[in-house]
Amino acid sequence: MNTPAELFDSLRFLIIEVHKQLQAVESFLETGERAQAEKSLGRVDYIDNYQLSLLNRSTEYLVNQPLYSENGESQILVQSYQHLAHSLKELSRQLETVAYQAMNLSSLKLIQKPNLFKALDTLRSGLELIEPAMLLDTSQAAVDICRLQLRISKLCQEQLEKYQLRLKRGQQTKALMDASFIIKDINQLGEALLRIGESILSANLGQSIKLERYHSLTETVSALDLDPNAPHFSITSVAETKSGCTISGVSSSNDPTDDELLAIFKEGKKQKLLEEKKGIESWNKKFPGIAPKVYSYHKSGNKAALLYEYVTGETFDQFISNLDRTNLEAGLNKLFSLLLEIWDETQIKDRHSADFMGQLYKRLNDVYRVHPDFDLSGFKVGDVEQVSLESLIKKAAKLEARLKPPKSVYIHGDFNIDNIIYDPLEKQISFIDLHRSEYSDYVQDLSVFMVSNFRMVNFDPDVRKLIALSMQGIYEFGERYAQQVGDETYHLRMALGLARSFLSSTRFVLDTDHAKAMHYRGRYLLQQVIKLKPKQYETYRISKEIFRE
Amino acid sequence: MAKKTQEFVHESLQDKDAIASYLKAVMRGFKKGEIVLSDDEDELTLTPETLAQLKIKATQGKKSQSLTIKLSWSSSDTDSEFDETPLFIDAQKAD
Repeated sequence: MNTPAELFDSLRFLIIEVHKQLQAVESFLETGERAQAEKSLGRVDYIDNYQLSLLNRSTEYLVNQPLYSENGESQILVQSYQHLAHSLKELSRQLETVAYQAMNLSSLKLIQKPNLFKALDTLRSGLELIEPAMLLDTSQAAVDICRLQLRISKLCQEQLEKYQLRLKRGQQTKALMDASFIIKDINQLGEALLRIGESILSANLGQSIKLERYHSLTETVSALDLDPNAPHFSITSVAETKSGCTISGVSSSNDPTDDELLAIFKEGKKQKLLEEKKGIESWNKKFPGIAPKVYSYHKSGNKAALLYEYVTGETFDQFISNLDRTNLEAGLNKLFSLLLEIWDETQIKDRHSADFMGQLYKRLNDVYRVHPDFDLSGFKVGDVEQVSLESLIKKAAKLEARLKPPKSVYIHGDFNIDNIIYDPLEKQISFIDLHRSEYSDYVQDLSVFMVSNFRMVNFDPDVRKLIALSMQGIYEFGERYAQQVGDETYHLRMALGLARSFLSSTRFVLDTDHAKAMHYRGRYLLQQVIKLKPKQYETYRISKEIFRE
Repeated sequence: MAKKTQEFVHESLQDKDAIASYLKAVMRGFKKGEIVLSDDEDELTLTPETLAQLKIKATQGKKSQSLTIKLSWSSSDTDSEFDETPLFIDAQKAD
């Protein structure tokens, strides 16, 4: 990891002081000389000072860095130093507790055990490894530090079991209890060491990482014949998904300007990732090449990691933000041809309703948690009444029950603007994030796609206009398809689908005005469709004014 | 760049009939898609379309009562060089 002198030197002083404290504690436990215990306690003030000084310097360091430096690298580096400072302070505090407790023992005999001294030795090796681990290009030493925690924990466990055996025999109960507490504190020292190792790993890999995660990364990238300990291996954080997965790009180059990513590494709950893996496989079976290749999948407990092909190209929100009308048009045309092919080849007779109102109802509480203002009862001015959202949804649900799509097709299931990638050079569309694919109403995918356009957090007037044109293009494409297949209720289902997405996705929108704009549009659409008379169903059209903000 | 925001403010004491005629003028303007406001110096033309945000606020105090009706809508910036023609979509099923 990077070791700028102003931070590294402070850290070294801190390590040296903790080292001295540890030595004094060890020596007190061995000899019983109280002077050694006092000496260990005397280091605490120095340690406090060095910790403070490191924290101050790390703040200064960050302030002096050029703003928006590459990938927030300095932030991560400084965070790693701050974590190291905290963990070392934590170690010192635990050592202090051990010393105090041991001073109160009437005899040190019970704790003068080989397991305890081995555990403290292990801790010392860990402290000695910090500097080399920080200076090395590879992460091996950092992983070694993490591993020492396991050894300390094992030694402490063995010793505790010995005490428990004796406790059962009813001898020296109080003394054994006291000794057990000290062993437990020593076990805590190991935890602090683990966090130290993890901080160094995070700094090396350029993002916050837990050892557990490092292992799943190691296991999955071996499928690429890469060694995560190789000096040129790097991963960069790409995104955090709403489903709580972290996504990283894996590259064999540590040059941040070189965006040659080799693969995407996604880690999170096993259930989600297993669904995603199945989704990718089922899409690739139906339409080879449409979804990224899965290189490897690794599970451990309830977590899992997935390594898959990095798809080249850009998501549609990038074309819109860049006001790149040419590629937006080309990409949409390519996407629509592909959708026509998918819908044609995967259609089944089963008329599976998207149940937009059911989906919306389930998410209402999440919306209200973010926007309590939206949770309103009905409103009346004189004899003009606006009913509550809940009653609107109930009425709309009754209508929806009568509007089944003419057939079902295989849909993406989470057709957000950033889950569709278009490569203008290869003229190729790819789908990502495929954990919700199923047979359903094609309007579900189109309406989600439209609202994810609107949801973009970009308020440049021209960008908003292009968003409106893009939404209109999607709406009209769906309309033409509906005409071809004789789908008479397309516009009504689209209104319900848009209402569902406008209303429910405000839970991801923190900008109040933007959230309001979406909420009002959703309500408006529901009000519109429920007041229609059956003879108006066929002629109803969605006003394109709602695409503009 | 967009033009500077223009503003028109009017305040007076009116009887019921006059107030109703003001409200009717606003209603007519909405239906027509054009509300013209003017005084001796300036004229301001608003162009509402089909949709507008409606905010109604009523307060009842010891000394006074009030009703505020706020109508707002987005307007297209006529100075912009943005190409407003719809996207060209002619997607056919790939063979």
